[in-house]
Amino acid sequence: MSRIQLDQPAPDFALPDLNGQMVRLSDFRGRQHVILVFNRGFA
Amino acid sequence: MAQLRQDYQQLVERGAVVIVVGPEDAQAFRRYWQAEGLPFIGLPDPGHTVLKRYGQEVNLFKLGRMPAQVIVDREGVARFAHYGHAMDDIPSNEELLSILDGLQGNA
Repeated sequence: MSRIQLDQPAPDFALPDLNGQMVRLSDFRGRQHVILVFNRGFA
Repeated sequence: MAQLRQDYQQLVERGAVVIVVGPEDAQAFRRYWQAEGLPFIGLPDPGHTVLKRYGQEVNLFKLGRMPAQVIVDREGVARFAHYGHAMDDIPSNEELLSILDGLQGNA
């Protein structure tokens, strides 16, 4: 599985959030830094 | 996530938003968010599209997904990535905050 490259544009994505609202990584461009947390699971 | 929440205000002050991506469905996310009162954006990814694109590792021997954290700056550029090799292999809040401090526009 390939990891992402640093100092390169991060792969954009669009997914509905837990309330069904669409979230795009590019929505935050020019506005906020984004910390992406890939979860270990809730259990 | 519990660790990140402790310093959530400091993350916000540095202009960061936290998005948690996981393989669970929206219902499981909602239940967990409600129970824990999490301030983060929750992104269910049952199709594993984002998880795969970002290369989250699945350790078949330890039966689970390894944690990973990626910081994307305001320009949309990936500036930090930590791919954990164990369930508890996650960067400290201090490390994340210092990376945010070093990003353009936060100096």
